[in-house]
Amino acid sequence: MNNSKPSKSSGVFGWFDQRLPISATWRSQVARYPAPKNFNLWYFFGSLAMLVLVMQLATGLFLAIHYQPNPHLAYWSVLRGIQRDSRWGWLIRDMHVVGASAFFLLVYLHMYRAVMYGSYKKPRELLWLVGIFIYLALAAEAFLGYLLPWGQMSYWGSAVVTNFVTALPVIGKPIATWMRGSFVVDLPTLNRFFVFHVFLMPMLLLALVLVHLIALHQVGSNNPDGVEIHDNVNETGWPRDGIPFHPYYTVKDLFGVSVFFVVFFWFVFYNPAGWGLLLDKLNYTPANILHTPADIHPLWFFLPFYAMLRGVPDKLYGIMAFGGSFVLLAFLPLLDRNPIRSIRYRSVLYKFNVLMMAASFLWLGWIAHGFATEHNMVYGLHVTEVFYATFLVLPFFNRQRSVRAKVLWLVIAEALVWLIDVWMYSINAHGWGLMLLTDWIPTLYLLVVFGGALAFPAMTRDAEKLPERLTAGGIFH
Amino acid sequence: MTQKYSPRRHRPVVSALAAVVLAGGGAAFGSVATTAPPLRPITVNLQDKAALRNGALYTVHMCVACHSLQGVRYSSLPKVLGLSREQFLATIGTNGSHFHDTITSNMPPAMMEAYVKIAPPDLTVIAKRRSAAWLYTYLTSFYVDPSRPTGVNNTVRYNVAMPDVFAAMQGLQKPVMVEGLRFGSPAQVAVGVQPLTQGSMTQAQFDQTARDIVTFLYAVAHPHQQQRARLGPWILGLFLALSVLTYLIYRLYWRRVITSEERWWRVGR
Repeated sequence: MNNSKPSKSSGVFGWFDQRLPISATWRSQVARYPAPKNFNLWYFFGSLAMLVLVMQLATGLFLAIHYQPNPHLAYWSVLRGIQRDSRWGWLIRDMHVVGASAFFLLVYLHMYRAVMYGSYKKPRELLWLVGIFIYLALAAEAFLGYLLPWGQMSYWGSAVVTNFVTALPVIGKPIATWMRGSFVVDLPTLNRFFVFHVFLMPMLLLALVLVHLIALHQVGSNNPDGVEIHDNVNETGWPRDGIPFHPYYTVKDLFGVSVFFVVFFWFVFYNPAGWGLLLDKLNYTPANILHTPADIHPLWFFLPFYAMLRGVPDKLYGIMAFGGSFVLLAFLPLLDRNPIRSIRYRSVLYKFNVLMMAASFLWLGWIAHGFATEHNMVYGLHVTEVFYATFLVLPFFNRQRSVRAKVLWLVIAEALVWLIDVWMYSINAHGWGLMLLTDWIPTLYLLVVFGGALAFPAMTRDAEKLPERLTAGGIFH
Repeated sequence: MTQKYSPRRHRPVVSALAAVVLAGGGAAFGSVATTAPPLRPITVNLQDKAALRNGALYTVHMCVACHSLQGVRYSSLPKVLGLSREQFLATIGTNGSHFHDTITSNMPPAMMEAYVKIAPPDLTVIAKRRSAAWLYTYLTSFYVDPSRPTGVNNTVRYNVAMPDVFAAMQGLQKPVMVEGLRFGSPAQVAVGVQPLTQGSMTQAQFDQTARDIVTFLYAVAHPHQQQRARLGPWILGLFLALSVLTYLIYRLYWRRVITSEERWWRVGR
């Protein structure tokens, strides 16, 4: 950024530009900001997530104007006051509801893009870490907002989650009461959730997104080839594989926005409840403190974590199990220290592992969508083991391993999986009959990764020659 | 450490709900096996003003004796029913409420709790939560069950608290029982009904009345259905057109990048 250069503009704009680095920032951060040329489909989701953030703030503003954060009024202030009595209230509300799910979908895709192309590796570790905090803030924001319509699922979902902290011995219950401002979820809880949802968390989210962007522009974007474009610059210092962000990516993102809005507004107009996934049917019933629903479950974007939680037959350990998945995500740059960034030039088994990372996450969501039977709990536990393993095996791929190392990894990993079952049996949590039904999942997964590495060493070999320049581009490349 | 996990004590700790579910309590929610009776098919036609008006008449003068529709104001009904305000007030009326009031039952919920142990649910809530087919089946499927305090039960809502308010119109009905499951245990399950006594209406007349009520409830529970259908294609069309336009602009701009560079650049490969 060249702040020392005086503005050449004159007139009213010049007056401002001499006192505020408007055109200098525009030049350095947008119009002369070099971006790699080969961004594909996966690179739409970051800017779309920002768009949805703005949309949620705008629709949320109007909702907050009409909403009543009081248990006696909240439900009907949404269902009647906003959806019927206010002009276009139904549209604003449905946009906010669908927007919440869209936000999560886009953020998940954005994160997976980073995983695939190694965007968390040096020098982008902090960028990744800030992103994890954005995800956590978003999760908190969604959880807080879910209580506000004061439906049955709102109420009991909040009751379950605010009870998490009671897993702590001795101090748990007093802390839960302090957090809720009441012994159960009630008026004080609704009031503070409302304030946190419309004021505290949005501020935090905006601040974190700003830090995320600043960190991005400090190190520059990664790309599907994982080639550092700043390593190859022309005489003027411009990366040979870079193009100015504006107008190239602004026009490209406009195309992404248009396509996104087609899908988004299809849901808003024709399927706002999203088959009961975006808006739970049970939430059409007002909260009833005397009637616990038979099945309390989160919306789709938290289902995988819910499967991890209920997979472990103890509250504290269950919370640690799903909390641990965030720790694994945060530690990703430390786990995967292979110098090759992009999945394109990684080994076959590494590709399989990254695929399983997403597959096991979706699988967990599918399991948690089912009823909380003992079978589903065990099933969830075993797929949780696969999800954890997809992270914990990453150090294995950091370099070529000897046969002895491969055998050791295989034996230790399989032993750990089976020891967890032995432990489950020893505490009388589950019987072997039930556990053996789904035990093959982590066992087979580890066998494919390490057994595959033993039997077919070529499958652990990364590409020998890495490209020095970007190879090809296009949306679908 | 392990003593802490003594036999079978922890499962319920996973969450409050697990305890409820494993004890077999709570309402059936799909996954706890309960034999479900087939729902009677119904096509809701929101353009059928005669059905809507008939449904509104029965709803306002019969259902609202006990149930409320807190989501609906009387003043919103003339438009739904295709009536003027005067026509609406003359034919259906507001049960003595102000025209702009919500449809609220004059029966205090506390009194209903004393009568049937439960406050009647709000019908805007129920009509949004349940499908039209469910509502139609519910309204037509009360059957005689001497074990119940009200003397009746319902095929789709087992152990329903609501009395059979349609008995005079529809006549009484007896259940069609089959061997099935209730909350996972074998039980006699009612999957249909057969006429027992004759009411003031024929079966066809009563079914039509029930369909009219469901049509009205569906219309007021989904108030923006027609607005959505009218506006949706325009908004989707707008963004589809914008997608095409922005794609062309994107190709136009990027042509410069593609041609000025080496051969490797293959857009849209």
